[in-house]
Amino acid sequence: MKQILPRQNYLGAGGWVWAGNYQLERYLYILHRITGLGILFFGLIHLTMTTFFRIQGQDVWEATIALLTNPWFKIGEYLVAVAFVYHALNGLRLILQGLGFVLGKPTPPIYPYKDALRKKRPWTMAMVAVIVILALVFLFDFTVGGW
Amino acid sequence: MWRTRLHLLHMLTGVLIASLLGIHLVILHLDAILGFFGVAATEPTSWQSMITRASQGIWAGLYIALLAFVLYHALYGLRGVILEVTTSAKTERIITWSFIIVGIIAFIWGAYVPVALLSS
Repeated sequence: MKQILPRQNYLGAGGWVWAGNYQLERYLYILHRITGLGILFFGLIHLTMTTFFRIQGQDVWEATIALLTNPWFKIGEYLVAVAFVYHALNGLRLILQGLGFVLGKPTPPIYPYKDALRKKRPWTMAMVAVIVILALVFLFDFTVGGW
Repeated sequence: MWRTRLHLLHMLTGVLIASLLGIHLVILHLDAILGFFGVAATEPTSWQSMITRASQGIWAGLYIALLAFVLYHALYGLRGVILEVTTSAKTERIITWSFIIVGIIAFIWGAYVPVALLSS
């Protein structure tokens, strides 16, 4: 008798970047993870700063803030802000879609029909547009507010 | 069933973090735009401003709550990414428990600082 092994479609580390036929949404998902890891890395630095350095008094705090006004840190800060905007809005889309809020009305599968992915596509495009606008708003303020 | 609950909690903490950190980012970085709409731009990273906030219970409470949400959301997310490359239940348990321990240590240290700064 043929034995059914669990998780035969297991892809290993390649599964992290394999997008198959899932198109745009799957690449957004990969980017969701990359931004998530980036924000996590930033969070470690942020937590160190607001605990180890904050508790040591005014001088250490001001020295830390002075170090963080370095232009490279400012560029990093902008990237973290954009990563956060992306991660938050894409996450919100995933929650809405995952809980079934933006599925649209059920339609009979008569050719040419739309699959679920294409039905949800306008929401995805709207989200990408909002992210781009917010990224530009942040870029404007970072430039005007001084780097 | 508990796995579904953990995922639901991941979504819930995500929404809470998006709201709280959204406000944080706007106040901290959009000062030129806030100024345009008549909101006075202060320097939130100055020692005086920071220590005034640190002495207020509501801010300490917010920091600790945000720390708990972020730690859960980040560690659960990273756990999900890592668990994709293993099929072993034992490895899964080891990773899960390591993350729980790291999370608890980070939470205790991260929550201690705002509480200690309350009396400063």
